[in-house]
Amino acid sequence: MSESIFTVPVGPQHPALKEPENITLTLDGEQIIDAKIRLGYVHRGGEKALENRTYVQNLYLVERVCGICAMAHQLCYANNVEALLGIEAPPRARYIRTIVAELERIHSHLLWVGVAGHEIGFDTLFMYTWQDREIALDLMERITGNRVLHATNAIGGVRRDITSDMIPLIKKGLTYLGERIEYYRKLALGEKTIAKRAVGVGILKTQDALALCAVGPTARASNVRRDVREYDPYSAYDEMPFDVVTNDGCDVAARIFVRIDELEQCARILEYAVDHLPEGPIKVRAPRSVPQGENVSIVEAPRGEDIHYCKSNGSDRPERYKIRAPTLANWASMRKMLIGGSMADVPIVLAAIDPCMSCTDRVAFLDAKSGKSWAWSYEQLKKYVQKHYGE
Amino acid sequence: MSTSPKEEELVNDLKQRFVGRVTETLIQRPRRIFITITSDALTEFVSYLAQKGYRHVSTITGLDLGQSLGVIYHLIEGNIVLSLKVAIPKGDPKLSTIVNIIPGAELYEREIHDMFGVVFQGHPDLSPLILPEKWPAGLYPLRKEWKVEAIKTELEKTQE
Repeated sequence: MSESIFTVPVGPQHPALKEPENITLTLDGEQIIDAKIRLGYVHRGGEKALENRTYVQNLYLVERVCGICAMAHQLCYANNVEALLGIEAPPRARYIRTIVAELERIHSHLLWVGVAGHEIGFDTLFMYTWQDREIALDLMERITGNRVLHATNAIGGVRRDITSDMIPLIKKGLTYLGERIEYYRKLALGEKTIAKRAVGVGILKTQDALALCAVGPTARASNVRRDVREYDPYSAYDEMPFDVVTNDGCDVAARIFVRIDELEQCARILEYAVDHLPEGPIKVRAPRSVPQGENVSIVEAPRGEDIHYCKSNGSDRPERYKIRAPTLANWASMRKMLIGGSMADVPIVLAAIDPCMSCTDRVAFLDAKSGKSWAWSYEQLKKYVQKHYGE
Repeated sequence: MSTSPKEEELVNDLKQRFVGRVTETLIQRPRRIFITITSDALTEFVSYLAQKGYRHVSTITGLDLGQSLGVIYHLIEGNIVLSLKVAIPKGDPKLSTIVNIIPGAELYEREIHDMFGVVFQGHPDLSPLILPEKWPAGLYPLRKEWKVEAIKTELEKTQE
């Protein structure tokens, strides 16, 4: 082994990381020759917890898998349970679900464009996109009652209706966002900072994206046409006009372009959905117990294909509930992108798959101060919360 | 009542090719297929499916079935989601890896190794992916015999 080869651990706590993860990089000078991944620092035992709660309680637990794509996880869960029950949400509910899911994609993609800007030292872009993201958050608050963790879905439909006074507000927001998206597209294509830091960086060739089973914008930026909304349409996507965006750039720049172009498609879907919102009920009654069976449900979360598997046993609690969030699917690809690249590009390459660690880690408590890990009962957690935040 | 011809064609082809090793098939609805096979046929079966285009493993689910452990490979091609099921004895949970056929399965196999203790033979690296380094050996948190309270007690013991 040459003397210039050394290993650098990045994380779990590191100034360049927004969330805890650990990557051990093997470097030859500045060049990365290997990367080893270690996850689990924010694993909360979600799948075990789901087995111990009722289907109705799980609606609210499952959206806490991720604060950013809460709607995607909850929708995937609701579709799953509805399929096992043999019921279907009414048309109006399916449209409302589509509207909230697309607003979530706008907020998530704008958030990501900002983070990408920040990672390449372009903080003005970060300030701009995060300001515009507020529009999407405010609309979601108007529709669902919450900026994040919307609790939109019920089993059998949605919890709240879109009233007629909300329509002009949504349209006004969309007109503004449309102009901003156009502005970001021009900026991304013309700005030297982006070209210098993103073109040719973090390469993931099409054949590698396929072999490593990449998903979402990461796959589509490597010219893999894979979008759940197209191949396995759910909610009202079979009626929506939209194009699946792909790019053959296979680098970080392509991942930026794909997301900006997708923002435009989101706006297109939203306009159509708001104009064609069917009349009728927003919910059907659902029994509390689910007959024996198993089902696989998939949705296109902002970060890509989100797959849930549910096995029911006839009771009011699932026998087994499995969640695979899109970030985990893209880790193998991320390793590939890092190898051969330079140490300085690690933050942006990491950010480019839009990793969400809380999504990836779902299952124990870790005390960051002492490094001890343990599991807490609900009572202990309640005591802790009361001690620190109570009175 | 052929509402899903593509799905039926695939299932019939697999049944004929793997006589005696396909133990159960179900076309649950259009675009959803469940197939159960004997565990010794796994590598051959996945290789054949990969040839037919099923190269995208969306995820792998682990299951506790009481006396045995279930492993479900969710494979996607076009718009068909094929869930391939195998069962292995809990006392000796060994299964061949499919990483050599579909490299994208690497992290999913590591996750199931952590959570259920399934040993994927031939896997390049089965070191813990999610569980902490000092996690007690033999505590597979998603197995049914480990209730939440029991996991807590066990972890408290190892804190000393």
